[in-house]
Amino acid sequence: MSALHLAWRTVRRYRAQTILAIAGVAVIGALLFDMLLLSRGLLLSFADLLERAGYDVRIVGGGGMALRMPIPDSAAIAGLVRRLPEAERVALVRILPARLAARDGKPSASVALIGVSGAAAGVWTIVRGVDLDRAAGEACPMIVGRSLAARLGVGPGDQVRINAEQAGVTSALPAMTCRIVGLGQFAFGGAGDESVATTFDALHRASGEDRAGDADLILAASRPDAGSAALVSAIQRARPGLAVYSNDEVVEQFNRNGFAYFRQISLVLSSLTMVFAFLLVATLLTVSVNQRLGEIAALRAIGIGRRRIAAMLLWESSLLVGVGGLLALPLGELLALGLDRILRQMPALPEQLHFFVFEPRALVIHAAVLVVTAVAAAAYPMWITARMPIAATLRREVVG
Amino acid sequence: MMEPRKRRAVVAALAILPALAKFAAFGVRHVPGPCQTPACGAAAYAQRAAQATEPPAVLISRQLAARAHLSQGDLVTLGSDPKGTRRAVFRIAGIYEPTPDPMRFTATRLEARMHLPDLVDLAADPADPASREAATTINVRLADAADATKFATDLAARTPGVTARLASRPRDDDPFAVLDRFHIAISAVTMAGGTAFLLALMVIRAEERRETVGILRLLGISRRTLLLSVAVEGVAIAALGAVFGILLAFATEGLVNRIFQARYDTALVFVRVTSSIALRSVLIAAPLGIAAGIAASWTLLRRDLLSIVRR
Repeated sequence: MSALHLAWRTVRRYRAQTILAIAGVAVIGALLFDMLLLSRGLLLSFADLLERAGYDVRIVGGGGMALRMPIPDSAAIAGLVRRLPEAERVALVRILPARLAARDGKPSASVALIGVSGAAAGVWTIVRGVDLDRAAGEACPMIVGRSLAARLGVGPGDQVRINAEQAGVTSALPAMTCRIVGLGQFAFGGAGDESVATTFDALHRASGEDRAGDADLILAASRPDAGSAALVSAIQRARPGLAVYSNDEVVEQFNRNGFAYFRQISLVLSSLTMVFAFLLVATLLTVSVNQRLGEIAALRAIGIGRRRIAAMLLWESSLLVGVGGLLALPLGELLALGLDRILRQMPALPEQLHFFVFEPRALVIHAAVLVVTAVAAAAYPMWITARMPIAATLRREVVG
Repeated sequence: MMEPRKRRAVVAALAILPALAKFAAFGVRHVPGPCQTPACGAAAYAQRAAQATEPPAVLISRQLAARAHLSQGDLVTLGSDPKGTRRAVFRIAGIYEPTPDPMRFTATRLEARMHLPDLVDLAADPADPASREAATTINVRLADAADATKFATDLAARTPGVTARLASRPRDDDPFAVLDRFHIAISAVTMAGGTAFLLALMVIRAEERRETVGILRLLGISRRTLLLSVAVEGVAIAALGAVFGILLAFATEGLVNRIFQARYDTALVFVRVTSSIALRSVLIAAPLGIAAGIAASWTLLRRDLLSIVRR
């Protein structure tokens, strides 16, 4: 009889404790798996959001990536970038606080009014209607966030009135009438999605300023044969002193500054859950072996060697941890959904940002950690049985 | 009048000054003085020193002091732009520990604090007289805190361009309330996993005592008495386990805090085992221990007496 077969018979014989041990490993394994998903989830999700915007280079103002400040002379910079052979397309983005009213008499909403020059594919996803570039002839075409549109009861084709002003601030500026051409989901919009977008020119008219204001952000897409690093270098050569970042650099900054808490907590919790799982499986196996000392001594007495007994215990540990670890995957996915829902209640968090994101690396680490746990947990019981005196144990356990 | 012990031509790196963020766009760089040679620099400095009064005082953060190798009494030059065209000499009056801010614990706190008029002199745009009148934030303490919302609304309506915000964050808008919920959820999952293991161990333990239980039952001791004894044993084990866990948490609290405080160079307290947390742990652990003991023993005790003694 092979060691695996012996182990299988043992776990079947002690069914209740096997099921409970597997359940314990599954729950702890699910938590471990989730911590692995959390360790890089926010980073992967953030990188995905940036990539989906379709631009791989960002030029920002003096406040860097952390503070939104206007970029002086942004129109000239955009023109310069457009002329670079490494650049494929460029868009200017400016954001102003504004109030949006559906109809006179109806309560207005505080919104972030985004003005975009050129194509800004990817900054938002059109869910109904058309994009700004397909609304030719419209003086003030507007894309409204999905949930905001539902709250105001408006849709494509409806007219809305917009005032570029902060909430609670009285303004003598007349409101500007815009027509909704589409409903969108903004890549970095919060759960309330209180963002609206229009053209750069329309935003300028709504602001009431005498000259077009500077953009807060310049987005540039590199040509596929050039790449973002080449475009960043070209921009820095053409205009030294500009704060230019590729998406990779933005993600790296985010990784260093904004993501540390979740990386640390996932490291601490995954280490703790691993130690917890090891202690519990090791205790369970040790207690189980102590209970079966007579049985194991009898197996040794009938000629089953130390190695096969040790292998049997290793298989027992592997079966408990392996089955528990497999069950941990779907359980972990379910748990991740719940935990993600809790964390996404954070204020001002982009709706499409997720904390728990699957990647194959997490699965490999999960499997490796469980293998180490199974082997480590079986080590002490294997040592007990290997140095067990057969005759004395039989006498004590069976005759005694 | 004073011999500069360590004349440092340093434009200190300053992060956002809490109440005056608008002016604080400083960078770490060496600012060349009007003279480039040591002799010329010393002569010019002696001349200025003779004319000038004591330089204004500035407080710098511990992190900035360590980064720029500064100490109390040193003279530093602060500039409000990267080229150092507008700069002034200050004497370091003290080094302070920045108030720990959980929202910014990953940021390196390179900060300085100075009197508002000194900052205005340093940072105001000479071409814009209005810049001397501008402040980024005005902190207001109300006579009655309950009026905060009404005050904010009134102020915003009367002063266009000014946004009034409450200093306290509502619970719904607090990221730490979300983190609390996250931690509670993780604790619940850990408890569920721990309970499954505890049950498994208790089942093994009950099985170990099968013969003892059989003999006690044959002697006439009732199931109820045996279950009660198991419950008492469960209380003792759970209480001991909980106390050990709390002691372990207390013992590791300092270690965890020291590791994270060193990692992020902050005085922020990351872990604090309070009496309410300790009490909550005992209140959860004790019933769980008792329930696991009784449930495991019941699987044995509910059986027929002959089957317990394997007959």
